[in-house]
Amino acid sequence: MSRVNTVLGPIPAEELGLVAVHEHIGYGMPGSELDTRWWRTPEQRYEETVPKLRRFHELGGGTFVDATGICNGRDVDYYKSLSAKTGVHIVASTGFVGGDTALPFFARATVDYLARHFIHEITVGIGTTGGRAGIIKVGVSRGGRMTDLDKRIYRAAARAALATGVPILTHLAIDAENAITVFNEEGLPLDRVLFGHVDDGVNADKTRDTWIAEQGGRIGFDTFGYETELEDPPFWARPRKERLDHFLRFIGQGHLGQVLASADANCSPLGWPGVKGHTVNYIFEDLIPDLRAAGLDESAIKTIFVDNPADFLTIKN
Amino acid sequence: MSAKSNTVNTVLGPVPADELGIVSVHEALLSVVPGAEHAFDISMDRAEIFETLAAKLADFRAKGGRTIVDSTGMFHGRDVRLYEALSRSADVHIVASTGMGPEELLGGYFLTPQTNPPTPWPAEKFADLFTKEVTEGMVVPRVERRGAAGLVATTASRDGMTPTDESLFRGAARTALHTGVPVSIRFGDDAVHDLGIVLEEKLPADRVIVGGLDRSDSVAAGAPLEIARLGAYVALDHVGLEDDDHVTDKERAALVAELVKAGHGDRILLSSNAIGAAKGRPDHDLPYSYVLSDFVPLLTAQGLSDEDVQRILVDNPRDLLTVR
Repeated sequence: MSRVNTVLGPIPAEELGLVAVHEHIGYGMPGSELDTRWWRTPEQRYEETVPKLRRFHELGGGTFVDATGICNGRDVDYYKSLSAKTGVHIVASTGFVGGDTALPFFARATVDYLARHFIHEITVGIGTTGGRAGIIKVGVSRGGRMTDLDKRIYRAAARAALATGVPILTHLAIDAENAITVFNEEGLPLDRVLFGHVDDGVNADKTRDTWIAEQGGRIGFDTFGYETELEDPPFWARPRKERLDHFLRFIGQGHLGQVLASADANCSPLGWPGVKGHTVNYIFEDLIPDLRAAGLDESAIKTIFVDNPADFLTIKN
Repeated sequence: MSAKSNTVNTVLGPVPADELGIVSVHEALLSVVPGAEHAFDISMDRAEIFETLAAKLADFRAKGGRTIVDSTGMFHGRDVRLYEALSRSADVHIVASTGMGPEELLGGYFLTPQTNPPTPWPAEKFADLFTKEVTEGMVVPRVERRGAAGLVATTASRDGMTPTDESLFRGAARTALHTGVPVSIRFGDDAVHDLGIVLEEKLPADRVIVGGLDRSDSVAAGAPLEIARLGAYVALDHVGLEDDDHVTDKERAALVAELVKAGHGDRILLSSNAIGAAKGRPDHDLPYSYVLSDFVPLLTAQGLSDEDVQRILVDNPRDLLTVR
């Protein structure tokens, strides 16, 4: 049986449709909730978020994977209401965006405890919401190298992925040798891991995307739209053409079956200003037209946005 | 707030300082290790937490206590609405705190912000965050502000103050200067040094309470007397705890007598750092009334007068907590 956990319950992978595989309803660093400068009323949150999701749905979007980890403002009850009212399937994450976003309780926890926590969120539910996680988020802390805590989280994620069949999504693919060592030690097939952010402006040069693909990992070009051409680009922005060329070059090397693409946008950021004008709908409004203009056929586009994510997200056990 | 008003910020609003009665200055009501609220195996049943805390406050009230200070800061389980309900129900004044620390207990927002490079927060930003918790009210995260914080509490890392700890200490001191509430510091590995950081900000020493001075290392170093000489309040605040890190109650009582004899009776504070309801860490399940029921007799045995005891339990905390 093909099965994917969404916040409203399991759905068949055949129903996912076009998937935005690395997005955020709203992301904030832990502690940002204490700083009123970022607060919005619930009315404002829905007003900023619902039109984006509705448009995503109207343009043909099927599923929105929320890559917001524990402690980053992940709010499954809110996601459930958004999903129910807009018709967009929402997949929520367990895990952490990086060790530096794991609060002390989890930073002090053992690998075994972290694995049990992730497994609980995947098989029983997140908190009291009843919604189950459909993906495990892990990542590299600021600084460019995996910290000991990052490695504990990767190891726990690998164990939870093996126990539940749910895949892993990474924030950053730098220092991939260490990540892959952990996954190999735990016996996790690397096609259960999406190595994300290989395309971002800060880290693309340091990311061994081809090597990771050769090891069998999936590759996420998932910061599309964070462009230096924007009015107020973030520090991880990159020239639009440079990113697109990188993506096309990578596909041209024979990796079409391993790539996924997304925009990593916030519908309504929780603890940072966000980037004006950048939404999940960049996928439809800019990226897919760019890919067509570059000569990709509809079958290749379907592979990237429908087939690859369906295979990746399907619970394998 | 004007100096003449002589009030203390409680969760139910300002209270005349003379109404505080017997105060326990360093306690924890709900104590949640940051992140534990998300843990799959930890229950956050508010009704159950309320019942546990209400019973402990009722016992404290019955033994003569009137005011509890929750000195855990703004990011360790503080629940302002719960404390308001508890205060009404148990008829005990509750003073809640702003502040954070040590560095290890902070969220990533303060340590690795989304800037390039990810520079940790400086003192001025902490001062602004904490000050607003007094002048505009304590936050219920992403929902609302409520009553004013009654003190600003921070802690240094046990192995020694880190640069971010120092920013927290300076930010806390500036908050006290801006608002008139006192500062509570728990020192890292050197009480005199850590007090010195807040004094460098020109905060008068009598606006500072130094916690943890019944740790064996600080007693061995003579820190309690030195802190009192500098004019700050000396908190022997693990009364009832006898472990490898702390002196015994008998030794605490002798230390109190020594401080009184040296003329520092107006600088002593007693508390237990009891935890009413702990989440994500072991309980320290000691009654809030322990100082009153079990420790005061040891003081009397040391020859302290009723006036001395009254000064330590009532007058000193009143003077400290009164908004200047």
